[in-house]
Amino acid sequence: MSSSLTAAPPGPGGTELVTGTYEDALAMVGTTREVTFSSHRVTWALIKYFCAMVRDANASYWDEEFARAQWGGVVSPPALLLTWVMAPEWSPGDPLPAPMLLGRVPLPDPTVISVGTDMEFFRPIRVGDRLNAEETLREVTPRKTTRLGSGHFLSTESVYRLGDGTPVARYVHELFRFTPGEAGAR
Amino acid sequence: MIPGVDYSQRYWDDVVEGDELPEVRDEITYRRVIMNPATTWDYFPGHHDPEYARSQGQPTIYINTMHFLGFIDRLATDWGGPASFIARRKMSMRNSIYAGDTMVGRGRVTRKYTDESAGETRHLVELDLSVENQHGEVCAPAVVHLRLPRRPGA
Amino acid sequence: MTATDTGYDIAFGPVEEAVAMVGATTPVRFGTIDVNEAMIRHFAAMTRDANASYWDDEFADHQWGGLVSPPAMLMIWLMPIEWQPGGGTPLPLFMARIPLPGDTFVNASTDTEFFAPIRVGDHLNVVEELVSVSDEKRTALGVGHFVTTRGTYRRQDGTVVAVNTNVLFRFTSEPAGEAR
Repeated sequence: MSSSLTAAPPGPGGTELVTGTYEDALAMVGTTREVTFSSHRVTWALIKYFCAMVRDANASYWDEEFARAQWGGVVSPPALLLTWVMAPEWSPGDPLPAPMLLGRVPLPDPTVISVGTDMEFFRPIRVGDRLNAEETLREVTPRKTTRLGSGHFLSTESVYRLGDGTPVARYVHELFRFTPGEAGAR
Repeated sequence: MIPGVDYSQRYWDDVVEGDELPEVRDEITYRRVIMNPATTWDYFPGHHDPEYARSQGQPTIYINTMHFLGFIDRLATDWGGPASFIARRKMSMRNSIYAGDTMVGRGRVTRKYTDESAGETRHLVELDLSVENQHGEVCAPAVVHLRLPRRPGA
Repeated sequence: MTATDTGYDIAFGPVEEAVAMVGATTPVRFGTIDVNEAMIRHFAAMTRDANASYWDDEFADHQWGGLVSPPAMLMIWLMPIEWQPGGGTPLPLFMARIPLPGDTFVNASTDTEFFAPIRVGDHLNVVEELVSVSDEKRTALGVGHFVTTRGTYRRQDGTVVAVNTNVLFRFTSEPAGEAR
């Protein structure tokens, strides 16, 4: 039921949130999601599209010759880290990797928003790398009220590695799972 | 060299604590917010579905975490140069940036230091950065630890 | 909202200008990106296409000499990128640059012939030709002209991989009907 780790399959928006009580959520603290291997490699096309979106002209992302001399190859913007293990929402055959923990923590509130990140990078992420991620639920706070509404803060910690186990980055993600306040509710 | 690509490089030796980063402004249209799922594969509906965003108490769709991160990183590396390496970046999100808003990026150098913990000497700067909107509201404060190259011959 | 907001800088002019352009071809234009596995998987996920050619490297190597692009992605490999260093808005698609009176457009049909598989690692280019411009027509959308263009798509070794004939309806927008 609500304390089970079998999540609802990701819906069209990937927004299925498991419901439950704060006690259910606390019981899940320390749980690690199964290591997720990416279905795709770090790809220059996606790097270009992202840099186009944020208007980043850094030579490391656009100039292959420069990047090879500087980093051993074109590198990914650090901000794109999560996309390198973001699974397409459908694939034939094999079941989809389990959704990220943020949707699987049982709590009573209907929605969630990201409130903070802390990322540490140990090496450049190069085109051609295939990453995997291991994610652990670190903390769920008691109910708090903010400008947005009432809910619980939760944080997850992920380690991203290459296929040979070399750590690439460490990422702590803080989220607010909440019920929108009266001023915001429609 | 590719025209328009940024090659200018800053050296650790030349940085002074207190140095200000040049301000960067970016107008975020509805279309730019839609680029979020297109480029990051993050289909969280707050970033493409106005009805869902309103159900969260948000007036309209808003940019995702990765867009904030990309803008912050760009602030740091536009200043630091293409040989700089982001060793660590902490960021909080206090206010959303909505379709129609302007992102204003500012920052300064708070610390210049070396670190030997990784078994080699790294030369780093600590940057205090922030993304504000056109109303002057702080949307995303951040701290970035940026590794810079030494001036050749230093 | 201006045309540049949409990225489609529509060219305006009388139909005679468009008809005078029939037979004109564009200079060769190269895609910004290589054909890649990540986007192939993402697209096939969107269309729920389980074709092994897109998902199974071993099968695709044996069958096609490598993982292949869904044919429907042809234009994606040539889509102008939103922004590049050096700035400037990307050149809008050729079909939008034909001078005509209509202020908007909708795509009507495509007819594509494929001559070779499009594989991961390929880098495509395209040359486009204006084939015809119709007389003024009225459809349910409004009054306008049908514009037919043909694109010849080649890969890096010069092999023609596809030819696409596209018909677009360029028309004058009318107020939207009542919501049903």
